[in-house]
Amino acid sequence: MSSDTALRADALGKRFGRRGGWALRDCAFRLPAGRVCALVGPNGAGKSTLLALAAGLTAPTEGALTVLGTTPAEARPRVGYLAQDKPLYPQLTVAETLRMGAALNPERWDPAVAEGVVAGGDLDPAARVRTLSGGQRTRVALALALGKRPELLLLDEPMADLDPLARHDLMGTLMGQVARYGTTIVLSSHVVAELEDSCDHLLLVGGGRVRLAGEIDELLAAHLRISGAAADADLGPHTVVESRVTGRQLSALIRPAGPLTDGWRATAPSLEELVLAHLRSPNAPSLTEERAA
Amino acid sequence: MSALTLTTPSPERPRQTRWLLRLHRPALCAWVALAVVLAALLLALAGPLVDAAAEGWRQYGACGMSPRCSYDQAAIMRYKDYYNYATIALNLLPFVVAAWAGAALTGRELESGTARLAWTQSTSPAGWLTVRLAVPALGLLVCTGLLSRLHHLAWAAGEDRIDSAKEWYDRFTFHANGPTLAALTLAGLAAGALAGLLVRRALPALVIGVLVTGAVRGLAELALPHLWPAVTRTGSVDRFVPGDGLGVDQGMVTRGGAHVPAPSCDSPAGCDAAYKDFVGRYDVFHPASHFWPLQLTTSALFLAVTALLVTACFLTLRHHTGALRSPRTARTAKTA
Repeated sequence: MSSDTALRADALGKRFGRRGGWALRDCAFRLPAGRVCALVGPNGAGKSTLLALAAGLTAPTEGALTVLGTTPAEARPRVGYLAQDKPLYPQLTVAETLRMGAALNPERWDPAVAEGVVAGGDLDPAARVRTLSGGQRTRVALALALGKRPELLLLDEPMADLDPLARHDLMGTLMGQVARYGTTIVLSSHVVAELEDSCDHLLLVGGGRVRLAGEIDELLAAHLRISGAAADADLGPHTVVESRVTGRQLSALIRPAGPLTDGWRATAPSLEELVLAHLRSPNAPSLTEERAA
Repeated sequence: MSALTLTTPSPERPRQTRWLLRLHRPALCAWVALAVVLAALLLALAGPLVDAAAEGWRQYGACGMSPRCSYDQAAIMRYKDYYNYATIALNLLPFVVAAWAGAALTGRELESGTARLAWTQSTSPAGWLTVRLAVPALGLLVCTGLLSRLHHLAWAAGEDRIDSAKEWYDRFTFHANGPTLAALTLAGLAAGALAGLLVRRALPALVIGVLVTGAVRGLAELALPHLWPAVTRTGSVDRFVPGDGLGVDQGMVTRGGAHVPAPSCDSPAGCDAAYKDFVGRYDVFHPASHFWPLQLTTSALFLAVTALLVTACFLTLRHHTGALRSPRTARTAKTA
């Protein structure tokens, strides 16, 4: 497996319990190393499950997930993970939490990185974790995840309980990581807008399946938002992701398979439009890099 | 990669033990305090308290039939009470450990998600669980081993001098007097840890850990008489001295030599009539010399249960997290 792939899923599926529903099914995608990947989807789409599988916290029911060219368990020392609720030991102080990180990651720990993240948040190292606010906890948890200098950083809803300023700070810290160490980052969110500016790769999951996977630029370029008269609507060769008729007007999001016939007004969709159109149309065919290639 | 691993002189291992002790410092301090108090109580029982009570019994014995006589009743009562407190406390230790293991050691970590934090450091989930079982097990083994030794000392000091001293087969005294205490404590540790891993919540895991430990203890008490071949004593119907020790079974011997339960009767005449067809009585029991064999077989039973519970812990963890082998061992296995 080439080392330029950070994450690769082959027919990946995860079911909870023997008779439970599938949280993820038939997932196939490839995330190249060095990307900042937005993992987007509605609540309950399987984002957390996918990240937990990549972090080696749960085992897939079927298929395989390759992390940094190996199994999730073997990649563990090289992967950083930040769970949605940012669990930390409440009885430890901030400084103790970082010392624990050093003790548990002896071959990789970089105290300067971890302390830098904490110092950026104006935190008292002697403060107990249980006294910290949500944003401060996120910062400490992130320091723990970044201190081991991960090659792949998995962040589950990192912004959920942060105010706008803290979000800005967090993204700044993350982008600094990418720039300095070439870290691959996967961060999940159900809000597309908060990821649009910083991410260059998209993984859209809905209903337990990967709907879109690829470079955001390429995905946007592969789609068109069109509108025209509903009467002579023949979208024949094109893949229609979503179409809507309002009066005599038809508007649709399509994947053009060739030049459009006259009479259509075409505009480039925004990322949010692209994501919403795919989520509203569960039966629209998925577009992943495997299939696009 | 393999060649690199082979030539690298043993890579630094994550230092988990220190952090386990740090995370559970309050529990550790409470445990040490409890152990010190119990040890002091047992030493006092073995020394001054038993001496005072023995003197009280000597005075009482010297009273004979005289209606007015003074003896140190307070010393006798003090020894009896403190001995009971110490014995009960020691019997409760495995349950305390099970509650702690279920609630704090695994249950709370899975409930609050800190287990996931630990599993995404450079340590595998199996390493995480191994440290969480091995370090407390070692400490508890030493601690409960010493306490049961002291309890045996305190019990033996009063055995022949205190008329009201507990027999060796008294269930609470038995399980505080030898290695069964340490073995049941280990079973409690494993039961609590398993409960935490299974239910993933602190409070239910506490309850289940205690209940499972209670069930193990209960089953062991039921099995105890059968864990070592008992001694059978027979004698005539009229003059029969039952065995002195842990009774297993007793009844009547028929003409054919068969052992059957004694028929019920409620008056001397009725009993004579009921017993007239029997040639003797029998009693199956464990004499005091069976203390150590029974201690060792019961301990072995507890340890077997512990091994099952520990295996179940690792299987549960594997069910949650997939492959258990840490990267290092997996790689070593591949290169070997």
